[in-house]
Amino acid sequence: MVALAQRADRELVIPAAQPEGHLRLEGVTKRFNEVLAVSGVDLELPRGKMLGLLGPSGCGKTTTLRMIAGLLPISDGRILVDGEDIAHLPPHRRDFGLVFQNYALFPHLTVAENVAFGLDMRRVAKAEARARVQAALELVHLPGFGDRKPRQMSGGQQQRVALARAVVVRPRVLLLDEPLSNLDAKLRDEMRTEIREIQQRLGITTVLVTHDQVEALTMCDLVGVMSHGRLEQLGTPEDIYERPASLFVADFVGRTNTLECTLVDQRHVRIGEAVYGCAATALPPGKVKAVIRPHRILLTPPRDRSLISNATNCAAGRVTRVVYVGDLLQYEIDIGGTRLAVEAPTRALSQPMAVGDKLLCEWSPDDMLVFPA
Amino acid sequence: MSLVLPLPAEQRFARLRTLRLPIALLLPLVLINLIAFVLPVARLVQISFLEGHGGVLTDTLTVANYLGFLTDSYYLGLIGNSLLLAAIVTVATLVAAYPIAMFLHTVSPRWRNVLFVITISPLLVSAVVRTYGWMILLGDQGLVNDALIGLGLIEKPVRLINNTLGVVVGLVEVLMPYMALSLIAGFGRLDPALEEAAASLGAGRIRRFLRVTLPLTAPGIALGSLLCFVLSISSFVTPKLLGGGRVFLLATEIYDQAVVQLEWPMAATTSVVVLVLFGCALILYTRLVRRFD
Repeated sequence: MVALAQRADRELVIPAAQPEGHLRLEGVTKRFNEVLAVSGVDLELPRGKMLGLLGPSGCGKTTTLRMIAGLLPISDGRILVDGEDIAHLPPHRRDFGLVFQNYALFPHLTVAENVAFGLDMRRVAKAEARARVQAALELVHLPGFGDRKPRQMSGGQQQRVALARAVVVRPRVLLLDEPLSNLDAKLRDEMRTEIREIQQRLGITTVLVTHDQVEALTMCDLVGVMSHGRLEQLGTPEDIYERPASLFVADFVGRTNTLECTLVDQRHVRIGEAVYGCAATALPPGKVKAVIRPHRILLTPPRDRSLISNATNCAAGRVTRVVYVGDLLQYEIDIGGTRLAVEAPTRALSQPMAVGDKLLCEWSPDDMLVFPA
Repeated sequence: MSLVLPLPAEQRFARLRTLRLPIALLLPLVLINLIAFVLPVARLVQISFLEGHGGVLTDTLTVANYLGFLTDSYYLGLIGNSLLLAAIVTVATLVAAYPIAMFLHTVSPRWRNVLFVITISPLLVSAVVRTYGWMILLGDQGLVNDALIGLGLIEKPVRLINNTLGVVVGLVEVLMPYMALSLIAGFGRLDPALEEAAASLGAGRIRRFLRVTLPLTAPGIALGSLLCFVLSISSFVTPKLLGGGRVFLLATEIYDQAVVQLEWPMAATTSVVVLVLFGCALILYTRLVRRFD
């Protein structure tokens, strides 16, 4: 393993002397005829960091990636690498690595020839090319597979070859287009960790496009959530999850309860007759939507309200549905006409609550975020 | 060691019964092929080994026809002419049709279907009619010569038909739909993402074409070339009409011997030689295609 790591470091790590690989998008816009597919995306990605572009299908994330790659001309804006505007360069002059959703391996070439393709195009000397191909295949755990044809390999292996082919040229920026969506769940988990490790070891500035929030949150340093061609929020995974900038982000990333309510003052909302504490907001009083994550609600047995701190929200409810997922239990709780989704971890010896059970829901006001209705 | 257990009678009947429908469905085709293709070809081979002149066949077996064919420089010249013409026509058809197929590959699917139909629509008009069309266009008083004279580029009409040039022009146009069909089928297997992948790896337009597009569409090129090669060697009407009796090929020779001179054994021998050429082309094609896979 140590020898392998050293070889990968020697052959594939982007030398510090090479240009920074610092990516910046300024007002990047794409119009298809009159339809605005991507509108005014601004973002900045420091060298060696990984950005996840997350959003539902049709949100413009793949269009954005294709514009960065140069496969689609931009309608407006600038794309800068180390301060140089590259938006006018054709894809083969950008020096970017690209991994496609369907891998796009050349079926007529062997695995080694596939990986060597980019080195060939750069006229890298034969001996050096061979060493780098070898190192890249070791990096993705496929040494000795060089003579096979892509179609003789499984989906996961093809994925690794595609990754090796993209990183072997030491690209300034690595672009990954839904790289894991064609793999089964278990392999996807493995590849998530593996891609992240490779990205960090080689120090490649990387953009990942995905519709899978787990991928974006677990693999990336920065996450950009897109919707209808706009970048709704750009932040660390924790920012995105804990401090969503909009109702869309809160709703799209992770599971949420969205509750119709009335804002009483900056720290309180009313649902029906009950008043609950919420995270501080600058919104004016009136109709709002409050959002709370199912697993941030604690289910407790009914007891005297006076025992519960005033700082905690508390609502009496009744179980209306229980779903056993394995690692957790998903409950639906009726609190005075409002349905709350609640999640609790399962434990070996504890009895799950049953439909009809009476209980208390408790949650912290800070976990209840308020957005304009 | 393999051990084959006899099936119980019931199962054997069941297997026969499941095979009955496929056999019944295949039978008409097999019969037609037998009567209209296999038997005539067998008869053709038989005649090529018989003696006979002036429309009369004897029962004497001989190899004189083949010896005569293979030692006569006239016949060998015919083989050379036909192969050369077929090669020129095939390459010209490929060069003309490849850009069309490439373009169809890049346009949106809606337009692709419309353009596809337009591309193969010449097949709706018979080769005879199209050849007469070329005679009108390329004749001494034809559109092409009139235009060239009108532009002042030439003073007297240039001879464009009744020579090899006319035959090549006619055959290329007649055979182009077949080439286009094969190439379009070949392009169908080309994932556009592969060209994008090549671009992202640093390949410019030309290297993308040479390293990715061309090798991956090679099976289509091979199929189209085989079809055009075989069809141009066996084509008769177009060379006859546009060659004006001045272009000598295997197909026109077979016609002359069989219909004009009534030298049936020699006509049969020439036909068998053409079949052998086709066989060679087919073997070459299968070899090539196997390499692409």
